[in-house]
Amino acid sequence: MELSDWELVQKCQLGEIGAFQELVSRYQQKVYLVILGLLRNPDDAMEVAQETFFRAYRKIKSFEGGSSFYTWLYRIAVNIAIDAQRRQKRNLLDFRDNMDEVFEEQQEVAKDPFADVHEKELREKLLSAINDLTPEHKAVIVLRTLEGLSYKDIGDILGCSEGTVMSRLHYARKKLQEKLRAFL
Amino acid sequence: MKSCDEIRELVGAWGDGELSQAEAEAVRLHVEGCSACAEERRQLDKLNVSIKSVLASQQPIAFEPFWRGLERRISEKRSWPAGWLDRLRMPLGRPNLAWGIPALIGLALVLYSLGVWKEQTPRNNFAAVESIDAYGRNVALLRENETRTTVIWLYQNQEGDNETSGETSDQSPAF
Repeated sequence: MELSDWELVQKCQLGEIGAFQELVSRYQQKVYLVILGLLRNPDDAMEVAQETFFRAYRKIKSFEGGSSFYTWLYRIAVNIAIDAQRRQKRNLLDFRDNMDEVFEEQQEVAKDPFADVHEKELREKLLSAINDLTPEHKAVIVLRTLEGLSYKDIGDILGCSEGTVMSRLHYARKKLQEKLRAFL
Repeated sequence: MKSCDEIRELVGAWGDGELSQAEAEAVRLHVEGCSACAEERRQLDKLNVSIKSVLASQQPIAFEPFWRGLERRISEKRSWPAGWLDRLRMPLGRPNLAWGIPALIGLALVLYSLGVWKEQTPRNNFAAVESIDAYGRNVALLRENETRTTVIWLYQNQEGDNETSGETSDQSPAF
């Protein structure tokens, strides 16, 4: 029978590294994609994902199960990613280089879900528009759209109320809609 | 009755299933009867699908190299200042041990005022041997600082005829 996250956390707290490995295998992909959604640079996303699990491992004894493990883990990930994003934005040239790399990688993906030119253009515009959002707006978009998290969980992760999550989502979507109106 | 602007602020949350039953019903009824708001909803749906498609189309990462890197990071020995800071941070960071920091500082001040850390006089033992005449008689002097004792030792070189005189004094001999 598969152990729950909380049972694995309790084993980790007793020093079982195998239990932590199981938690990593459950959430490594999701955490990486959320961070990549925020940072857009695969190398930075990998680094932040590893740092996220490393900090989770060091702090796991202080986790008391008040929230779900993934909420706690995403909170660590989003905080590190938002800090990294702010640093990244300070160096605009690096940021643009990263964006170009991402566009190139996107075009190399074999199973391209966007078949025609119009859809490819939409994707590029969309990536650019998402990157122009503030870190907080980008975070709500990524956590809601990619992970499908509830407003309550997003609020727990970002340390804000459900009302704030709703308002940020509305504002972020409106911004994206304005920039992409011709494609929608 | 809500206006179109009010309804559009709720359309996203409605699509996310985050409205109360009453609010959701009000939005649904409005959208069904308003082509502009229905178009707003359609655009939002397409936007959400596009965002998900773009964000989820990234290459997945393999578990093994990820875990190996993480394991290496975990097992890496942290530098000693960082390690000690971590150890201190845990107990001293707990609210119920917040009194510990001022208590430690107070204890350190008390110990200092009692002179526990006063610098000890360094050991400076002194020994000297001097021949005092031509018959092989010698005098040896040993000064021991820790117990403030001076030993004066008179002896003769000839075997079996050693004259020894032990004398202790709290004051240094006048040589």
